[in-house]
Parts: sequence; structure tokens; C-alpha cells
Amino acid sequence: MADTQYDETEDTAPGTPARAAGELRTGERIREALQSRTAMVVSIVIILVLLWWAAVAQDVSQYRLLSLTVWGVMLGGVIALGAIGLTLIYGVLKFPNFSHGALVTLGAYIAYTIVIWWPGQSPAIGPFSFGWDLIVGMVVAMPLVGLVALGLDRVVYRRLRRQDSPLVLFAMASLAMAFFVRSIIYLVWGSDFHFYYQGRPNPALDLGFGVRVQADALFILGLAMVMVALVYLLLGRTKMGKAMRATANNPELAQVRGINTERVIAWTWIMSGALAAAGGVMYGLASQLRPEMGFWLLLPMFAAVIMGSIGNPRGALVGAIIIGVAQQVSTAFLSPAYGPAVAFVLMVITLLIRPQGLFGGPGD
Amino acid sequence: MPLLKVDSITCGYGDMEVLTEVSARIEEGEIVSVIGPNGAGKSTLMKAVFGLIHPWQGTITFRDTDISRMEPYDIVSLRMCYVPQVSNVFTDLTVEDNLEMGAFVLDDADLDERKERIFELFPRLAERRRQPAGKMSGGERQMVAMGSALMLEPQLILLDEPSAGLAPKMVSMIFERITRINEAGIAIMMVEQNAKESLRMAHRGYVLANGENRVEGGGRELLDDPEVARLYLGG
Repeated sequence: MADTQYDETEDTAPGTPARAAGELRTGERIREALQSRTAMVVSIVIILVLLWWAAVAQDVSQYRLLSLTVWGVMLGGVIALGAIGLTLIYGVLKFPNFSHGALVTLGAYIAYTIVIWWPGQSPAIGPFSFGWDLIVGMVVAMPLVGLVALGLDRVVYRRLRRQDSPLVLFAMASLAMAFFVRSIIYLVWGSDFHFYYQGRPNPALDLGFGVRVQADALFILGLAMVMVALVYLLLGRTKMGKAMRATANNPELAQVRGINTERVIAWTWIMSGALAAAGGVMYGLASQLRPEMGFWLLLPMFAAVIMGSIGNPRGALVGAIIIGVAQQVSTAFLSPAYGPAVAFVLMVITLLIRPQGLFGGPGD
Repeated sequence: MPLLKVDSITCGYGDMEVLTEVSARIEEGEIVSVIGPNGAGKSTLMKAVFGLIHPWQGTITFRDTDISRMEPYDIVSLRMCYVPQVSNVFTDLTVEDNLEMGAFVLDDADLDERKERIFELFPRLAERRRQPAGKMSGGERQMVAMGSALMLEPQLILLDEPSAGLAPKMVSMIFERITRINEAGIAIMMVEQNAKESLRMAHRGYVLANGENRVEGGGRELLDDPEVARLYLGG
């Protein structure tokens, strides 16, 4: 039997008027144009070009600039690992998890402990500065931090959820947990800076075109990309991943469909914690370990999440890379301490032009 | 033994009592329509049956299982499903993923077959399988919602106002599909604003008012009952 044919416009009941483009007033039309995705892409491009131009004006060689850009993409990969967890948690639980930075730090320090405990000095693998001990450290840190994230949820957030607490309580609780986890890191590992491998050389490779990048940086970028791809496959292809997206989209309906949303939430925490840990290890490898490292990464992570539309992992990746590049290129003429400020500027611009981010619909 | 038996339940939200000692039953393969004025507690009855709220008193039995205290995700495994009136699709997910979520509690082995069966019933969805459900029209969304519910191969479907907000053409199309779904042996309990139309297709009906049972009887019987007509069918 043929499906009943009908017009697109006819099938909603009268009383929901279609908004035709012609009905918009000029002011609205200008506003819409300014808030369009194109406008946002254009302004991001302008900012990046300005940064490059400022660097060139300061007599920074184009080779160094190119290297900085490649480094920026790598930093973007690290930010992305954190930002994806942040955006997933926001998607499912609808609150900004301020303790995410502390989880990043925790991951880095757990891996550090493994590296310290490792009998003897693990020899470096190939052109990299690190040995198998760091890889093992990361593989151990990921599930551990995942479980810590789950534990925090069970002890704190789940109780709030059961009481239908307002959003601000969740945010405050997560801030408190950030301080809590950071204090524990201070207690256990002290306030000193650490390196995974003190004084081990990590010569830059020449990639041609005068681009010089350390092998470690390429590894970090590669690993970040692989993990992002895995997250993508998980969310897009597996039953649990689809259930996560479904729960993020409409938690009540997810329950109606037979999805145990508490279980989905648990897996989201584990995944988000594990990705944060991986990001922490890579960040520690690229710079050094300090108890505040994750806290300083929090702002770029939030900027990436907002820029790429909250709740959208693909958006978080794109946002993270833009912010990574902007931060790194700015170091050509600014103190690296201003990195978070650059991220902040990008975040504010996003909020002003298009609060729903690059990948959000107009109503989000 | 009835498929579903609601035995004098009292329930509500917070301190507010909405249903008082309401009873109903659904036999296998039946269409049962619940009608009544706004605020009569029709949707609440459905939510209680599906475990979204729990009765304060009384029991609900599905087949042999007491489901009064069960959560929706457990009730779904008993092959009962519920199509809410609003936001009944995952707007960010494609049509296909929406259907897959409908069968979340089932084994994935014959997932593709089940999807094809839904596409046969709603050919429109086959054309748009990769489209996000949020980008579809109201009627198409209702098809996605009903299709997702059918993915479970349920014994009982609860439909909360399936025709709400749809144009007349779509309404008759959705009603026609409901009849067809029922002809496949699936029992249906529906709440409808469109009381006359829904009684016409129902085997039996219940009239609720003020959270209490008022009248029950065959669909035709209720339609022809002058009292019901005057009070609840608008003359």
C-alpha cells in the first residue's frame, strides 16, 4: 500500500506559522547575518591571520612560524582529549565539570609514578624521548582516572542528580572537587615541577620546508588523532555510543526506550576520565608536570567546547585545534603565560558572535 | 487472563493525587481507548502503567508480572512500550539510529530485518533513514516515534495522543497505521483528544473524569451512549 502523500507545509496543524525569509525585518536580517556560521568562521580566520601577521611583523622567521603552527595543532590534540570528555559530560549531564582539569593532572601524575617505579631507566623508543614505561603509565592511568571520575559521580553528582539539584550546585560541587583532587595531588606528589625524563634529549626532526618538530610532538598528535577517531567510532557505531548520544539528546525518552541512563552516565564518566588522563600524560610529556597543569588547561578546554558547540565532540576537536594553533602562534611574540588569555579572547568572541558555537543550530 | 491489569491504583505527583482507585484491563490484541476531559488523568494513567511514576496504592500486572514498582527500562524488556505525546524522537539522531534505540534492550541479531519491516510500514522513513529526526516534519516524527516503539516487537503499545498537533490528512494516516499495527496482533492502549475517532477504532474504551473511572464499555457502545456523547464527546 502506498504511503499517503502530503505536503511538507501542510502536515503541522495551523497555528504554527512558517517563518518565511521575506517576513524578517531588516534589523533581524542583519543580526542573523552577523551571527551566521560564516561570520564566525571569517572572524576566526581573521584572528589567526592577525596572529600570523603580528608574528611576521616581529621578524619571526616563517619557518619558525610554520613549526609553531604544527606545534599548535599538536597542542590542539591535547586540548581536544580533555575537551571531548568535558563536552560529553556536558551533553549527558548538562553541567560544566570544573574538576576536569584536575583529572587531567591526576592522569599525568599517575603515569609519572609508574615511570618512577619502573625498574631501571626504560630506554627510549626510536626517535622519541620516552620508553615503554610511559606507555604503560598511560595505559594504567586511563582506567584509574576513569574510575576516579566515576567515584566522584557516585559520591557527589549522583546524589545531586537524585535530588534534582539546580545546575549551579553541580557546577559549584565540581569546582569543589577540582580543589579536592588538586589538594590530594599536592599531598601525594608535592608542589615541585617534575619531568617524565629529566634531561633526556629530544632533538627536533626536520620535516622539510624548514619545519622542525620534535618526534614526541608528532607522537602526541598521532595518538590524540587516533583517540579522537576511536571516540568517534564509539559514538557513531556502537550501541553504547548511540545510547550516550540518545541520553544526551533526550534523557527521558532514553529511559522510555529501555536505556539504563545511570549506566550510560557511568560509562560517560569513565570515558571522559580516561581521555582526560591520556591528555594529561601527553601534556606532561610536551611540557612538565605541575599540580596546576590541568587547571591552566581548563580555560582552553572550555573555549574549545564552547567554540565547537557544547555537547558536540566533533566541534570540540575543531575548536581545540583552532585554540591550540592560536595559542602556539601567539608565543612567537607574547609570553607563553598569555596562552590562556588567547583562548579566553577566542571564547569571548564566540560568545559574542555565535553563542551556540560553530556546529550548533540557531535554536540551541 | 488479561494482558494488562490495572487494579484500583491511586497515584499522583508529589502530594497531588491525580488518579483515585482507577482500574482498567487490556486483553491480548485489543485496542483500548482512554478518553475524558482535560486533566482527567489519562496521561498519568499511562505514565503509571509504564513505570514513569509509581502507584501509591493498587497494583499493575503485565502478563504474570507485577510491574507496579518496576522502572521503565525493565518494563521495556517485557515487550511493552510507550510513545510519549511530545519530544518522542531523538532529534540529534538519524531516523535509523532512532529505530535502533527502539530495540535497545533486544539482541542485535535480526536488527536489520526489524528495521526493514518498519520501513515497509512507513516507506517515507526509508527515504530519510540518514536524516536527523529533528529535521523532519511533525507527521514524519510521529512515524519515527511509532516505528521506534514497534522495533521492540511489543505485545502492548501505549500511545499518548498520537494525533496531537497533526493536520487532518496526517491524522487519518496515523490512525490507519494504528489499525494496521493492531491487525498484526499488537495490543494498543491510547489516550486521545480526538475521542470520537479513537472510539470508532477501539474495541473497548474507558471514560475517565476527575481521576476516577466513569464509564467503560465497547467502543461502539460508548459512541452511541447519549450520556457519554453529551458529557465527553461534545454532543
